[in-house]
Amino acid sequence: MNKTNLTPEESLLLITKTIEETKQRFQENGHIIILWGTITFIVFLSQYILVLLELHKVMDIMWTCILFPLGGVYTYIYFRRKVEKKNIPMTIIGRTIGTMGWVFGVNLLILGFIFGRQLDKAAVPIFLILLALFIIMTGISLKFKPLTIGGILLNIIGFGTFLINTDYYGLSMMVGSVVGLIIPGILLNRANRKEHV
Amino acid sequence: MFNDLDPILHSQLRLSIVSILMSVDEANFNFIKETTKSAAGNISIQIKKLQKAEYVKVKKTFKNNYPNTTISITSKGIKAFEDYVNNLKKYINPK
Repeated sequence: MNKTNLTPEESLLLITKTIEETKQRFQENGHIIILWGTITFIVFLSQYILVLLELHKVMDIMWTCILFPLGGVYTYIYFRRKVEKKNIPMTIIGRTIGTMGWVFGVNLLILGFIFGRQLDKAAVPIFLILLALFIIMTGISLKFKPLTIGGILLNIIGFGTFLINTDYYGLSMMVGSVVGLIIPGILLNRANRKEHV
Repeated sequence: MFNDLDPILHSQLRLSIVSILMSVDEANFNFIKETTKSAAGNISIQIKKLQKAEYVKVKKTFKNNYPNTTISITSKGIKAFEDYVNNLKKYINPK
């Protein structure tokens, strides 16, 4: 592989092919998106059940305090292993999505734990709207339409949540996690598998 | 025929290496080897040529007691690649 009499067309084809191959090797398989969708779903489903059983005052914070940090730790270890063990370099898109993810996570923690009282009922819709923005931007960066569409639907659900009774906020979060995270994550996983067959 | 095309970049393997480096922050030697599917010796020679032209930076460190060579593109390399692509476009679509 050291041809020096390349035609301009061959050169352009080589550049495009190499950049595409590099991107494909790094491409995310969607399981982190599915993981976060599942965690959100489980947290809000369990809270809904705990409310029905009237146990929410004793136990509901426990799920949030255990599952979300666990997800954060797993995500951190997963990306570290990917970069270090598999020799996968960090692409510009990867760095952008990663930074957006951490900024989003830190902002949510600050909003939830410090400004939770000020936000009061608006906390859930704001969470959904912020999550939707992150999903839309990730979908656009990865050029993956189902993720972008999932993000747009989640954005609509977020604004719609302002209009419903607070009793249904948990349901809104569950639907949002399925529409915006779990379904697009599964589709991304499938698309990735097809490319590698 | 292609006078304006940079001779450093106008080689299949060197162009592949620079194309990889254009889409990542930095890449280690093994990643380049796996992506280009070329022999280590050949890659090593081409990287040296790119380094001599100051298109790439080579960093040699140790990772878990094994040598780890990482390569990144320089601002001169980015400029050369952009000029190369622009010149290619002129050849393909002359106006």
